[in-house]
Formats: sequence, structure tokens, C-alpha cells
Amino acid sequence: MTSVPAVERPRVVHHGLGRIFFSKPIRVLGLSIILLYILMALLGPVIFPPQIALVANPAKVFQGPTWADPLGTDFQGVSVLAEVVLGARGVLMVGIAAAFFIVVLGVLVGLVAGFVGGLVDTVLMRVTDLFIAVPQFPLLLLVASILNTSSPWMLVLMLSLTSWGALARSVRSQVLSLRERDFVEAARGLGLGTRNIAFKVILPNMLSYVAMNFMISITGAIYAEVGLLFLGVTPFNPDNWGVMLRQAAGTSGALYTTKSMFYVLAPLLAILLLQSGIIFVLGALDEVFNPRLRKGGARA
Amino acid sequence: MMRTIRRFGVAVVMIWMVTTLTFFLIRLMPGNPIATAYQTLLQQGMTAQQAAVQIHILYDVYPNQPVLTQYFVYLWNLVHGNLGTSIVYTGRPVLGLILAAAPWTLLLVSMGLLISFVIGLLLGVIVAIHRDTWIDNLTSQVASVFHGVPNYITGFIFLYFFTVMWPWFPFGNIYNPSIAVGLTFPFVASVAYHAVLPVAAYVFGAFGGWTLSTKSAAMAVLGDDFMMADKIRGLTSAQRLDHLVNNSILPLFTGFVLSLGFMFGGSVFIESMFSIPGLGYLVQSATTQRDYPVMQATFMLLSAAVILANFAADTLYSRIDPRIRN
Repeated sequence: MTSVPAVERPRVVHHGLGRIFFSKPIRVLGLSIILLYILMALLGPVIFPPQIALVANPAKVFQGPTWADPLGTDFQGVSVLAEVVLGARGVLMVGIAAAFFIVVLGVLVGLVAGFVGGLVDTVLMRVTDLFIAVPQFPLLLLVASILNTSSPWMLVLMLSLTSWGALARSVRSQVLSLRERDFVEAARGLGLGTRNIAFKVILPNMLSYVAMNFMISITGAIYAEVGLLFLGVTPFNPDNWGVMLRQAAGTSGALYTTKSMFYVLAPLLAILLLQSGIIFVLGALDEVFNPRLRKGGARA
Repeated sequence: MMRTIRRFGVAVVMIWMVTTLTFFLIRLMPGNPIATAYQTLLQQGMTAQQAAVQIHILYDVYPNQPVLTQYFVYLWNLVHGNLGTSIVYTGRPVLGLILAAAPWTLLLVSMGLLISFVIGLLLGVIVAIHRDTWIDNLTSQVASVFHGVPNYITGFIFLYFFTVMWPWFPFGNIYNPSIAVGLTFPFVASVAYHAVLPVAAYVFGAFGGWTLSTKSAAMAVLGDDFMMADKIRGLTSAQRLDHLVNNSILPLFTGFVLSLGFMFGGSVFIESMFSIPGLGYLVQSATTQRDYPVMQATFMLLSAAVILANFAADTLYSRIDPRIRN
């Protein structure tokens, strides 16, 4: 009984944070990518004031990269870089907000179902099954076309209501296995109430899982959001990657010329790069929450 | 057997719930299409009577009937295989539209699913065997980035590069309209030629997920006692590989069936991008043209297909894996 890594753990979580992120170059890369997108979302309109940057210029339609427009220009002669940077805010806000609600809803339903059990569990899980079974995209299309709204909050609502099911189911199964563990038994023995056990004992043990799901949900929500705009079912503000894609595929005629390469690829690559950044950081998150995964183990 | 029947009952109830949900979603939402159309007709100077008749012709419902009555009429028609008529393609039964579209979607989706599954299985097993080498690091990283990349991204890239940049493949439709439809070589070849890019788009969107799940399944199998026993018994590496692959496929089976539904959902993008006259295209064009009978029916059928696939996966799994048979 000499080694006591369990006591060591809480300290390591905070002190190791920087070391974990900087231990692998790919994580630094991922972190920088995410920071870049956050900067784009925050400072976009400062760097490219929309009144100036988004003005059409028929003299430079579909130009290749130049010093003034590093990603070339689109079908109206607007700088593609400015469009991508200005699109970041709307896309990220909807993605993050939707991911937040997905995680809250999924965790809440999963926790309650797994912890309360009985009839509540059965009913909640049937509803969850229904939401998992219904194909997300056609459902989104249906709801979007009925609501026909341009409010980003309605978009957030639609995205989160259609994609919390899978998380709820796996949270429930984790709760079912965690509640049989000794430390939960001990908490019960100490006389803690159900709510305390659920939120203060069991929930912290799933935090890594929840955090990783939050990150993945962001990309999922962004995909769905951009996809909906791409299909043109939701009327939404013009500076968005999905709208860029829609115009690239449709009215702009970009698909009839080889000169439009940068315009067509820019929104796609913007999404792929963000996805890569998030994936690269996920491994680090896993290690932050699971000290056992770290190389060299707990420092005894 | 009792278990199977109970599960089937649950599946039927779920299909009924989806049907009900879509029915009321369309009817009860603020600004629902039928109420809007009715109001427009009234404003155009029709009497309530004329407007109601007009709405009945368009949407097959009487707007003044209580919603519950409309619902039972709808269910009654549904049970009798009557899915209503399309608004945009005036007078054409929805069922006919769906039946004409379904084969193309089935063909492309199943090809995409099969090919991505085989690629993912191969990569996953290779990665699991060479765990923690550069092969593992590289492949796993690439697979994680591709895992979850929506197929509209891969599709769009293929579309742009291989039909616009380098016009190696045809753009739009699923066969050359100048060739007569039939089971002849030119027709099949034309379909295959048109299918390359859409199927590739499905494959690139899906192989990453299969690679990762095969990897974790295969790593679990490698840790099993019987793999060690195989080694001690002196089985050749080919025989051990056979055992490894067979046992790694099992846990993937459920995911395989379930992803069918997911890919049907994704067909909305691929088919509208490549102008393929399948179910996804039907859903998309019906949505943008507000063709509600078509939307409602396709959505319901897609959901029903997923729910039934779910049921089939559950039932078949216990037959395939003798360990969980009880």
C-alpha cells in the first residue's frame, strides 16, 4: 500500500496541462488551428470590414491568388479570403451553441434514465431510440422547410433537437456501469442524495467523455448547418460557408470554369481544417481526463 | 422467438410514431403550408367553399375538417398503400415517384457502403497488427480526420476535379439518356461510368469510421486468450489472420446495418450534387418546391427503412454470434 496514485491524481490534472498539449507537435498544430478560427470569428469584421471587403468588383471575377486577394476572387470579384474569414463567426456560433445544447440534453436524458430507472428509463429510452432511428438529415430538411426561418437560433434549436440521441444512449450505459462501482456505493453509504450522487459523483467521472463529445458535436453541427445552407432550405445571411458552396455549385457558374478553383475549394478546406484541428486536440483531452493514459504513468 | 416478436412490435410502433409526428409537424406548425395556401386562396377572392375544394384537390385534405379526422383519413389511405399525389408533378402518385427513384439510391448507397466497409476492414486489421508503429499513427490520424467528413465535401471535391478540372467523368444523371434502358452491356457500362464519382464520394466519407471501429475491434480480439492459444498451437499466420478477421467483423455488424440508414440520409447531398434521380434527390427537390405529400412520404419511408434495418440487425446479430444466443 505504498504507491498512492489516487492521491496524486488531482494535482497532476492541473500541472500537466501544458505538458500534455506540448508533448506532441500535432496537438500544438491542432490547438493553433482552433485558436486561428476563434480569432477569425472574433476579429473577422475588424480585419475585413464587410462594407468594404464584400463589394462586388466586375473587373476581377474569378481571379487566381494575388497579394491583394491571397485566395483569389469569386464570381462577383469579391475576395474569397474575406468571405471565408467573415463566414467564420456565424458558422462557429451556431456550431458551438448547438453542440452545447446537444451535450446538455444528451447528458441530462442519459443521467436521468440511467439513474432513476424503471418507467422513466423505459419512456426516455423509447423517445431516444426514436430520435436515433429517424434519419437526421431528411428530418432537418423537413423541419427547416416548414419553419422557413432565417434566425440562427432556430437553426441551433433544430440541430440540437435532432442529434442528442446517440449521446443520451451512451451516457445512460455509462451511468449503468458506474453506479455499480465501489465509490458510488461509498457515496451512497455516506448518505448523499440521489441528485448529489448523479451530478457530483457520477457526472465528473464522465467528464472526459462529455468534453470529447462536445468537441465532436461542434463539427457535426457545423456539417449539418453548412449542409442545410448548401441545399438552400434555410434562408440565412449571405456570409456563410454553406452559402458560398451553394453559389459555387449553382448560380455563380463556378462549375463551368476551371478558373474558380480557389473559390470552390476555400469553404470546403475551411471546414476540413477546423475538423482536423479538433481531431488533433481530442487525443490531448483524453489524456487530460484519464491520467492512466499518460506516458510514464502517474508521477509517484 | 417471443423476443423477436416483441422487437418487431416495437419497430411497428416506432414507425407509427414517426408517421404521426410528421403528420402533425406539417399540419400544426405555425405557417403550415396547407393553412397558408388556404389563406392565400381566400385573399384571392375565393369563397371558403371554393378554397376548401381547391385545397382538397391540391393536398388531398379538407382544410375545415378537424385535424384528427384528417389524421385518420391519412392513416387509412396509408394502410391501403395510397401515399397521395404529388403537387409539383401534378397528379402523379407519390408511391410511383418513390418506386422509380429507389433503385438508384439503393445501388449507389450499397456500393458505397460495401466498398468503404472492405477498405476500412483491411486498413483496420493492418493497423491493429502494426499497433504503435508509423503505419498505425499515420493511418489512424488520416482515418480520424476522414471519419465524419460529410460526403458533400468529398463529393464536391470529386465533382470539381474530375468533371470540371479534368473532365474524365460525366457530370449529372446516372446513365447516358441516349442509350436505351435495359439490361444491355452499353446501358450497364454507362451506369457504372456515371456511378464512379458518387460511389467514391460515399466511400471517402465512410471508410475512416470503418477503419477506426475495425481497429478497436481487432485490438480487442488480439488480446483474447484464443489468439494466444492459436499461436501456441502453431497455427500459420494465415490461419491466425483468418481467426482475427472473422472475430473482428462481428461487432461491426450492427454498425454496418445501421449505417445504411445514415447513408440514405446522406444521399440527399450526393444525389442533388450529381443530379441522380434517386430518393435523396426526390427529398431535396420536394423540399425546395414544398411538395409536401412527397416530402412526407419519402421521409416516412426512409425512417421506416432505418427502423426495420435496426430490427433486422438486432435479430440477425444473435443468430450470427452464438455467444449471445440465449
